[in-house]
Amino acid sequence: MSEKERFSVAEFYCGKRGGAPEEYEDAYASRSSAGTLRVAIADGATEASFSRLWARLVVESFVRRRLAGPEFFQRLEGPRRLWRRRAWQKPLVWYADEKARQGAYAAFLGLTLDVQNHRFQAVAIGDSCLFHLDRRSLEMRLLCAFPLAHSQEFGSTPFLLATRPMGETRHGQVVEGAVRPEDVFLLATDALAAWMLKRREEGWPVWKRMATELSGQAEFLEVVEEARADGARNDDMTLLRIVFHG
Amino acid sequence: MYKAEISRKNPGCFLFLVDQSESMEDPFGGAESDRRKADELATILNRLIHNLSIRCAKSDSIYDYFCVGVLGYNEQEAQPVLGGALSGRDIVPISDLANNPLRIEDRNKKVDDGTGGLVDQSVKFPLWFDPTCSGGTPMCAALRSAQNVCQHWTVEHAKGFPPIVINITDGESTDGDPIQEAKNLCEIATDDGPVLLFNIHLSSKSGQPIELPSSADGLPDQYATQLFEMSSKLTPFMLSRAREMAMDVSEGARGFVFNAQPVQVIQFLDIGTRPANLR
Repeated sequence: MSEKERFSVAEFYCGKRGGAPEEYEDAYASRSSAGTLRVAIADGATEASFSRLWARLVVESFVRRRLAGPEFFQRLEGPRRLWRRRAWQKPLVWYADEKARQGAYAAFLGLTLDVQNHRFQAVAIGDSCLFHLDRRSLEMRLLCAFPLAHSQEFGSTPFLLATRPMGETRHGQVVEGAVRPEDVFLLATDALAAWMLKRREEGWPVWKRMATELSGQAEFLEVVEEARADGARNDDMTLLRIVFHG
Repeated sequence: MYKAEISRKNPGCFLFLVDQSESMEDPFGGAESDRRKADELATILNRLIHNLSIRCAKSDSIYDYFCVGVLGYNEQEAQPVLGGALSGRDIVPISDLANNPLRIEDRNKKVDDGTGGLVDQSVKFPLWFDPTCSGGTPMCAALRSAQNVCQHWTVEHAKGFPPIVINITDGESTDGDPIQEAKNLCEIATDDGPVLLFNIHLSSKSGQPIELPSSADGLPDQYATQLFEMSSKLTPFMLSRAREMAMDVSEGARGFVFNAQPVQVIQFLDIGTRPANLR
């Protein structure tokens, strides 16, 4: 089996209902090399400025480097410098300038899959979530939910990864473990992740649907509509699905 | 109630009622103060509009999450008091306000240098409102004017979050008891709930500032008590947001402050994820 055949990555996304395309502030990226797959998802904060730019810069930074653990959060000077340069590439009117000086913020989740050794490691700041699923079990068993495991844990003021150092060491979280053939990882931004956990808590899990039945963007948009009708927050929703074939 | 989403399609509304009566010429916060209540009012209003503009700023533009009106009251009546290009308008989108201050001054501000110290940073300080004071305090007339503005707003935004009216005054109404007019105002509603009325009491009395009390016990005079009684209770979201901002609030807290600068009040409406580490 070639390296490319050992896993598959699918991406799905949807902006806020009623929002313009430029209001979509999630970002995602994936890259594989030398037996390692790296994927990342980020969710720029609505209340901050240039958040989409920051979200894109951190996911790109994660997948292009070899820092799999929490040390990633200590080595962000490059994307931070790039963010400052791009935010002020032209003069800003007073309110845009003052808002940009407050910095940009994003929830971040990065997953590194060691294909050779069947291991994974994930790092997170904020409320984007990783779900590790055992696809061989009939009901598609949830092996791990990280960093949040209950829908009640989601709030409107999470600690997020910022464009200036603000104690990431204390807030960064790490999980690692073994991965077996046919395991599935789902990475989801907060509104979608909270809804998926709520469905599980209510006894109607959507793991199987998300992990095996979702085949395209149109179907994902149907899921988003269903989630919003079921009380999910009107927010950007992004889902990455990684299937490890072995 | 009070669950309607605030977005550019469904903006929120802040209506400020500002007392411009002669008594606002008196010292603020104690007889020996060299600062007038009118100066304090202008500072509060400019700061609220400033912070609201920053809150809505997005990359190199500004999103109209809110519309804002400012009615001044003195002599016998209340009228729109925004100046310059906004003269005569009772409600304007926040982008119009942000782009049309009366003037922008350069000031220095202490900011975190990232290593635990503070450094001076030059910032633009826009001003929309200058202090002025003359005549009586027709608070009842002001509340009636607010009713007109809110009636129009709630008809045009029937499913939206209801307007928040913020009355900034020394509390000494000269055209009658304002409590009934406040009740009438708070009976105007959208599908999402009735208008919310908050009061900011600027007094010549000295004493500790009071923020968002849940009872009138301990308030310093009858004007404070009256304004407390006129004030709406905070919504559950506002209570939780106030607690997140380390404010000491309890169930039943009302939108009333005494001799305090309630800059947090503009955070009481949710427009999306707000980082806990954003200060």
